[in-house]
Formats: sequence, structure tokens, C-alpha cells
Amino acid sequence: MTATRAGAGIEAALDEALGMLDETARRSVELDENEQFPADLCSRLDAFGLPARYVPTEWGGTSSDHEELIRLWRTAARRDISAVTAHAKTYLGAAPVWIAGNPEQARVIADAVLSGAPVAWALSEPGHGADLLSGSVTATAEPDGYRVDGVKWPINNATRSSHVTLLARTGQEGSGRGQSLFLVDKSALQPGTWRSLPKVRTHGIRGIDISGIEFDGALLPADALVGPEGSGLETVLLALQLTRTMCTALSLGAGEHALRLAARFTAARVIQNRPLAERPFPASVLARSAALLTAAEATSLVAGRSIHSLTAEMSVTSAVAKALAPTLVDATLGELAELLGARSFLSDVYEHGAFQKVWRDHQVVAVFDGSTPVNRAALVQQFPRLVRGFATGTADAGGLAEAVSVGSPVRPVDRGALTMLSRQGCSVVQALPALVESIGSRPTPTGLVDQAVALGAMAEYLHGRMAEVAPAARPAMAAYELAAAYELCYAGAACLHVWAAGEREHAAEPLWQDGLWVRAALRALLARLAVFLRVPVPAAGPGDDRLDGALARLVVDAATTGAPITPFGAPAPRTLQQGEDSRER
Amino acid sequence: MTDREVGVRVSGEDIERWLMERLAYYLETPVGEIDPEVSLAEYGLESVYAFALCGDIEDKLGVTVEPTLVWDIDTVAALTVHLAGLVAELPSA
Amino acid sequence: MSAEKLDALFGDLRDADNPVGHAAILAADERHEMLAEGERLLDAYGMNAEFVPAAYGGRLVRADRLAEVQRAVWRHDPCLGLGYGFSSLLGSVNIWSAGTHEQRTKAAEILLGGGRIAVVFHELDHGNDFAHAECAAVPSDDGWRLTGRKETVANLRRAEAMVLFARTSEVAGSRSHSQFFLTRAELPADRVLDLPRFPTSGLNGVQLGGLRFTDCPVPGTAMLGRPGQGIENALRAFQLSRAVLPASVLGSLDTALRLALECVHERRLYGGFAADLPYVRAVLARVFADLLAIDAFCGVGLRALHLAPEATLYAPAVKYLTSRILMEAFEDLRAVMGAQGYLREGSYAMFQKLLRDAAPAAFSHISLSACLVLILPQLPRLARKSWLADQAAARQLFDLDADLPPLDFDRLAVGMPSGDGLIGVLAETAERESAGSPVGRFAVRFRDEVLALRDQCAALAPSDLTIGASPEAYAVAGRYTVLLAAAAALAVWRGDDRQQEAALLGILDRLSGRLGGAPVLTPDERASAEQALFDIAVERFQDRRLLDLSARRVSG
Repeated sequence: MTATRAGAGIEAALDEALGMLDETARRSVELDENEQFPADLCSRLDAFGLPARYVPTEWGGTSSDHEELIRLWRTAARRDISAVTAHAKTYLGAAPVWIAGNPEQARVIADAVLSGAPVAWALSEPGHGADLLSGSVTATAEPDGYRVDGVKWPINNATRSSHVTLLARTGQEGSGRGQSLFLVDKSALQPGTWRSLPKVRTHGIRGIDISGIEFDGALLPADALVGPEGSGLETVLLALQLTRTMCTALSLGAGEHALRLAARFTAARVIQNRPLAERPFPASVLARSAALLTAAEATSLVAGRSIHSLTAEMSVTSAVAKALAPTLVDATLGELAELLGARSFLSDVYEHGAFQKVWRDHQVVAVFDGSTPVNRAALVQQFPRLVRGFATGTADAGGLAEAVSVGSPVRPVDRGALTMLSRQGCSVVQALPALVESIGSRPTPTGLVDQAVALGAMAEYLHGRMAEVAPAARPAMAAYELAAAYELCYAGAACLHVWAAGEREHAAEPLWQDGLWVRAALRALLARLAVFLRVPVPAAGPGDDRLDGALARLVVDAATTGAPITPFGAPAPRTLQQGEDSRER
Repeated sequence: MTDREVGVRVSGEDIERWLMERLAYYLETPVGEIDPEVSLAEYGLESVYAFALCGDIEDKLGVTVEPTLVWDIDTVAALTVHLAGLVAELPSA
Repeated sequence: MSAEKLDALFGDLRDADNPVGHAAILAADERHEMLAEGERLLDAYGMNAEFVPAAYGGRLVRADRLAEVQRAVWRHDPCLGLGYGFSSLLGSVNIWSAGTHEQRTKAAEILLGGGRIAVVFHELDHGNDFAHAECAAVPSDDGWRLTGRKETVANLRRAEAMVLFARTSEVAGSRSHSQFFLTRAELPADRVLDLPRFPTSGLNGVQLGGLRFTDCPVPGTAMLGRPGQGIENALRAFQLSRAVLPASVLGSLDTALRLALECVHERRLYGGFAADLPYVRAVLARVFADLLAIDAFCGVGLRALHLAPEATLYAPAVKYLTSRILMEAFEDLRAVMGAQGYLREGSYAMFQKLLRDAAPAAFSHISLSACLVLILPQLPRLARKSWLADQAAARQLFDLDADLPPLDFDRLAVGMPSGDGLIGVLAETAERESAGSPVGRFAVRFRDEVLALRDQCAALAPSDLTIGASPEAYAVAGRYTVLLAAAAALAVWRGDDRQQEAALLGILDRLSGRLGGAPVLTPDERASAEQALFDIAVERFQDRRLLDLSARRVSG
């Protein structure tokens, strides 16, 4: 498959550009410890040309393939998720301008981004971070523009950025039309009318610029307004559909980083005369971790491709992806930490103490850009349409086929097609019953048909339960659990679609043989689904007992040789002291 | 509760044969590969695992032993002698 | 002396000027230092006397009282909890249970004089597999000569004395290691080298050290017990420490849950308080239920040390399930805290510290999977002989306020229980309670689970009783711990009419949820149990009372 190879080529080129792994591994922990900005890695990302990929081609950028960007962010994030969190923020800050800005604004922000300037996105405020409706920063109309007052905090890149896209209230408090978006050029602001707030000390991502900005009568020209007055919230919500989807790349990188660390440890660690990796229980942890990471990747890649081909469904897709990927990866990191034992929190013993850093750093992903509960609430509000769409089996067949053809080219993004609420629901899930049927009628790896049927049955049951959820401004906990189940259902469907679309092409690859990855992923997802739905876990299928050993062996092999660790992964550079304690004895 | 029929003396040979069978079970190896003179630890009967065998001994022979018995007397041959002695001291019904 | 006195000494944690309040605790944590004022406070309280048996001049009589005081320390600062408290406790238990009168007297003198006893067991290459520890002593004319490394030992540089675990025989097996009780002054300085500190993320202030011994002479009189008794001593001592540690660690979850309750009542979201959101209420109610479940389980486990010390599986079971629930509860609270749970500054900065401290607290002493490996070899026999055959233990085990005979260190055991008075509770409750009542339905469910577990235990392969067990076998051992906790909750509630039934239902719902399958409660029953739990939690929080079973009033 040429497209994937080209993709992997770009990832390899980025790895090359990022420098020696041993150096960056040691350095990133050191910077984190000292709360210093990962400037070197960020400038290597600049030099590689990553900022140009944040700019649509119509504004002079080099690419608008979101799968490729997810892959590149993952590749960098598996070295240092902090650095990518800092760098990627520019994509987030600029996104609303591509959606709602006029050509002049787009040109301004494109020039800034292409020149390597960081951009910030100022949404959060002290005291009510997630609640975009209650913003208290005001933009008051003046004869020549707007006067801005108030505090945005905590904001990634708030201090280092040259430009800030700012959400501020121009109308009634609490109204959906009460806020507007502004493109703020900090260098054009009158000194004394604004100031940067000090860096916030955080549990993870300690080195990056999480700070704030305070406006005190700052005057913005009238042409700073992005889109019509009162459209700010809508623009932000549409942009979040892109950014929430893309943030999942951070989880993929963190998950891969942690899995490689843990797998190398289990290969080197001898307990009662045998390496841990050869024991069934640790092997099952490695296999489950790899399976869940693969499920998160399938979700993330399909969601990223959906920006192009299922654009109008992104209100569902983005909420699913952003809630699912960090949750699965947080859970995986917790399990891997147990495997690593003391080496999960000793900060200079094993491979430079990388694990404790990635563990802390990654915990921010479930918090920013819409937390998991926020995304689940957003999904619950869309239940009625999802139930209807599932009942009728509605799906955009062409868009879906493109979305699940991981590694193939994508159509350009039609940003105008983004919509607040998906009218057709979610093709990935709604096409599941038909997919289950078609999988059942062709030669399939042992056990996969049973799993597909089980997934289909759970999806059916889930939608029945979703139909019972009464619309409410404050959904009950049970509705959140169904949302969590929906995410898993989406992930399972994404895995099956991607497998069905790619099995012939990848037949020779070990992770694809006998459907190894898809069976392991479905098994892990079905077990989690059963918990949220409070139903029995499906009984083990034929051949299930061999999945752990086979997958764990490939994972350990990948972690030690640098081969891709998931079916959609990329080769990784190797360290000099793999799986060994880096601390001198 | 014991498997030992009350009043029936268990011979040393019975004990040895039974011990060999239990060990073969725990170590998942044929009885024929167990040498009664070799330390059980050499076979990989790790510390905590050995407690399971002590539990079997109590249940089978109706004697009370320390959980650490197999740590201290760690060959089939020596265990057989020790256990036969304990059984002989049991009051017969 | 008591937990109340200790609380009073700590004062109001939220007072920014309190030298042992949150601000000071966080500042010390940032510096990776123990809170010096906190250590002085514990000195003044005479904390070390809590670790010394009454017969040797201390206050240690009851394991549950010991844990209660330790929990008060963990509630304030886990670094003090582990670095001041647990470290010396763990070291000294070996001496109380295996030492001579002279050794015990010496240990008591050191501790009562404000000294520390470090536990020098751990080697980074072997972790929980201490039967393969390499640091070795060979016999010499008047004792032993020691060579090797010990690593990640709390307080090593600051400890006057240590209990050291070393190989003393080349032979394979469980009689090849011994323990030595040594003062640092006894070791020639040129034969023992302090390794650089091992920094950690989590429990930042605790100083983990290491030692490298090079042909270092050790007096023969330093041995604890006989040569080869090292593993046995350790396993017996661990029976106490593995029950006390989880009961103590719960203090940090109590504080974290109180912080979350405060946070959701302060933060405004969507035109109301975060506390108005059903999602937030349910998550906090569930964490509260988990905390109560574990407290009941720990309480029973601690009383069992006095009343049924031969029941050696309860300690690793308590340690396992507490660690499991602790890690999950912090994840759940993190989701509710959002960004506030991620900041190292502001009103809730304590949360991220407690979150970071949770992992080393949960993994320390023994890993979760190693707990299950201890349990597995015993399960087939217990299942066959005891479950649903033996009666429930006497009420005394479950009345957490009732008197106890003094702790008898000689009765601490290494393994091989023949009965299981906790599991017996489940069958008894199923028979007693009406099958239609929610508690009755739970009891039937748990009894059925015991039946299923009994079959699963009978089907375990021999290899499933070892570290090479299948994941399914590990899961069996994990389910056993959940059933024990359910039994403990049922029995504790039955004997304590201050506790509300709604809380019990919430607890049992959470525990049965861990076993999987169809829920026992209807969605409405669950919602109302969780509502009641949330209301109790809020009331406790507003009254400044603890969230554990004691519901004790505290100053902050």
C-alpha cells in the first residue's frame, strides 16, 4: 500500500529530524524536572516543517491530511508528549480562523504560523474552565472596535504566543449568541492594557507554557472580530470538533511510549528464573495494553480521516474520540505501571525515569480541550439522532469507506460542512450491523465472527438503552455510562471496518495474520463494554487462549527491535540501553 | 476432615508414593522424573507454593504440620520418614 | 495518645500559616524533603511508641488502634505516613516477632529514643521476589561477612538501625536467607557505602537510599532468629504490616475525597455548582462507597490479626483490594476535579500530590499481583474444605469497637489457613435475609459467586497456583478478595446500627460490579443509594467529620 508507506516514510523522516533517542529521552525528563520549556524539540518540529501542516493549502500550507498529522504528532509524542502539547497548540489556536475568519485574518494567522510563531486559544477562565457559556471576559463595542477586560487562565502558550484567538462576551451572559471570537495580535495591543500571567505550576507537562493573559481595557480593532458578532461559541464548538479529534494523537504517542518501556522491562526482568514477558499474566497485560492502544489508534485514525469524508458527523465523532482515547490510554498506563512496579515512579532508575513523566504528562489530555465528562455530555445530547440512525442503518457509504481506508489519500476538508449536531448520526456505528453480516458471510479468522456478532448484539442492546434516556440539561450518571459504552462500540466498529478494508492488503504482516490485532482489540473492548452495560462478558472464543501469547511476543519484539508496535504504527528508533536501568551502579 | 480411613495405618511406601504423585501434579512432570533424594526447591517448588503441599499433607494424613515443613524437610525421602513418624503417633480409632 | 490527639496537633490544614498545613506540606514536597515541622510534631507526639509493644515500654497493643493513628498521619501527608511511620514499623515488627529479649529491648530503646529502623530488604533486580535476593553473608569467625547491594530503602541514611535481609546459604529454597538487626554504628564505615538517593515522582519527600556492602563484617549476635529463618520472619511480620499499611493509606483517599467535595461545591458550572451535576454526585458517591467498603474490610483484617491470626490470606487480600480501589478511586476523582486536580498551586494543589503519592503507596511493600500470588496456592484447599461448610466467624471479629486481646506476635503466621470465617458470612446472610430485600438479593448473589468460585478453584491447574498462573487464575484470586470485602461489609453493618443501609447497598453494588454480570440493584435503587451516599458525604464534609467508618470530627 503505497500511501501508508509514504506515510511511514514521513514518520521516519520526522524521527530522523528529532535526533538521537537517547539524547531526547534523557533531555526531556531533565527539562521536565527543571520546569524548562522543551525548546529544542519544538524547534526541531519547526525545522521539520510541522507548522506548515497546521495551515490549509489554500493559505499556503503544505498539507491538510489529518491522518498524516495525527501520525506525525504521535511520532513526536512518543518521545515527549509535553513538547507536542506545546507545539500542537498552534493548530488548535488557528483552527477557528480557518472556519470563520475572513481571508485577511486567515492570511495573518497563516503568516504567523508559517513563520514559526506560536498561537494560543484563550477559552478557559478561572473558576469555570469547561463552561464556555459562562465566560466573564468581556468585549465591549467602542467606536473603533472593542474594549476587552478580564482574565483567561490557564491557557497553553498564553505567554509565548504572538497571536491569541479569544472568546469574549459581547452580549448577554449565558446566551449561545452572547460571545464572539477575536483574533488578537499581541504586538498590536497598547502596552499597559494587558499582561501575561505567570506560568502555572502543573502536575505533568511541567515545562510548557501554561499561563494566562489578563486584559484591562485592551482595545481591539473592529477587524479583529472573527465571523459575525455573537457567533463565537458556534465557531469554537465547530473548531473543537477538529481539535478534540486531533488531540487523541497525544494519547497514541503516550500509550506507545509507555508500552515500549514496559515491554522492554518485561523482557529484561527475570523473576523466579524466567523473564516476566514469558509469564502468562504479564503477557496478558502487555497484550491487553497493545489491544487497547490499537483500538484507540483505529478510533483516532478513522476519526481524523472523518474530518475529510464524514465532516458533518464530527459532532459525534470528535466527542467519541476525545473521550475514548485518553481514557483507554490512562487505563493502559495504570496497568503498565503495575507491571513496572517501583520503576514506574523512580525518576532516575529505568530508561531515564521516562515512565513517571509520560504517566503524569498524559493525564492532562483527558482534562484539556473538553474533558471526558464534557464530551460524554455532548454525546448524550445527540442520543436521539444516534438511536434513530442506528434503527434505520443510515450511513454515508462513500464517506465511510474513505474514512476507514487507513493509509490512503483523503479528500480536501470542506469546513463549511461542519455542523453543531450531526443530522445523520454516526456512519461508523450505524453501518456495524451490515458489516457484521458481511463478515459472517466470508472467510474470516477463527473467532472473529463470534466477536463481531457479540459486538453487534451489544450495540443493539446499547441503542435500546440509549432510547430510554430522557433529554435533560443535566444527564443522569446512567446516561454517561451509556455514552462510555457508545465510545467503545464506536471503537469496536472502527476496528472491524479498518480490518475489513485492509485485511487483504496486509495479509502478510504478523499483526494481521489470523486477525490477531482485531481479535485482541475486540476482546478487550467487549470486556470493557460488558462492564459499562452491566452484562456478562462474552465467553472466550476458540483460539482466544492463544491471543495473549502471540500478541505479547510481537509487542516485546517490536519494543526491542524498533518494529511498529501496532498495526498502524511506525518503526521507532532504538535506544542504546534498551530495557536496562540507566542509573549508574 | 481427612481422606485417611480411620484406623487404617498408612505405610511409609504409601506416603512416598502419594507424595511423589502430589509433587508430579504440582510440578507438572511425570512421577518417574522425581528423585526422592533431590531438594524440592531444586524442582522449583517456590516458598509460597510449598504451603499448598503442606495443606494436602494435613488433609490426606490427618496430621498437623507447620506450613514451613517442606522448607525444612525438603526431599521426598526425608518427608516420608518424618510423616510416617507423625502418622504412627496418631491415636488409632 | 490517640488519633484525635494527633489531629489536634496537626490543627487546621487549610490555615496557610499552619507549619504543618497543606501549604507547608506542599512546599516540602516541592523540595523533595520530608516536612521537618511534621517530623518534629510526630516526635513530640511520641509516634515511635505506637510501634513498640507495651511490654517493651511502648503503646502497641492493638493493630487497629495502630492503624487508626497511622491513618491520621496519612490523611495529612503520605510522605510522613510512609517515611516516618511505616518504615520504622515494618522494620521493628520483625524484631518483635523473631528477636531475642535483648534485641527487642535494644529496638525499643532506639525507637523510644526517637531513632529509626530501616527495612533493608529490597534489591532493584528482584523486587518482590526476595527469595532470589543476591546480597549475601558468608560465615566468618565471629559472625558473618556481607557483600552486595540493597536499594530503594526508605530512610536508610537517616536510620540509626536496620533490619537487613541477606542470603546466608547457596542452597536453593526457602531456608537460605536470614535477617540481621544492626545499628549503623556497628558497621565499619569503609565496608559500607551509601548509594545516592533514589528520587521519585510521588512520595517525593521520602528519602530512598541504598547501601553497597563489601566484605562487611556483621556480628553473629545480630541475627534475628536462626540462620535460614529470614523468609519465615518476613512473611510473619508482613501479616501485620500488610494489614496496617492499607488501613493507613485510606487516610489519603479520605482527604482527596474531601478536597473533591469542597471543589464541586465551590466551582460553578453551567449555571449551578458542579455538585449539582448528577454525574459528579454519582462519582463522588461511588468513591465514598469504595472508601467505606475498604475501611470495613481493613477493620476486619486488623481484628483478625488478634482473633484469627492463622487466617493469613486476609492481609494480602486487604492489601490487594485496597491498592486496586485506591488507584481507581483517584482516577475517578481526577475526572471530577478536572484542571483543578492538575495544578500544583491554588486551593486544590494537595490533590495532585495525593494522586502522585497514591501509586508508590499502592505498589510499595508488595505489588498487587504478588498479593494474588500469595493467595492462589491456598484457594483450592479453602474452597474444598471451608467455603460454605464452615460457619461465619464469631461476631467479635466484626464489631469494630469491641475489645480485643493484645496482639500476640508469636501467633503471626506464614500461611496455610484451614478455615475462612469471612466467606461463611455470605452463606449465613443469604439464609437469614429475606430473598426479596435488596440486602438479601445481594447475599444470594455473593453466595452464588462463592459457589462459582469454588468450582473455578477446583479447576485450577497446578501451574495456576504459582507466579506462572494464567490471567484467569489471577482473576479468581481477585474475585476472592472482593467476596471477602463483601462479607466484611455485610457483617460490620449488621453489628453497627449507626451505619445506614443505603450506604451498605451502595457498597455492595460497587463490589458486585467488580464481579461483573447483571446488576443486583435496579437503576432506581442504585440512584437512590447513591443519592443517599452523596448526601451523607456532604453532611460529613460540612460537619468536618471524616468519611471513613469512624466519622470522627476533625479540625480540618
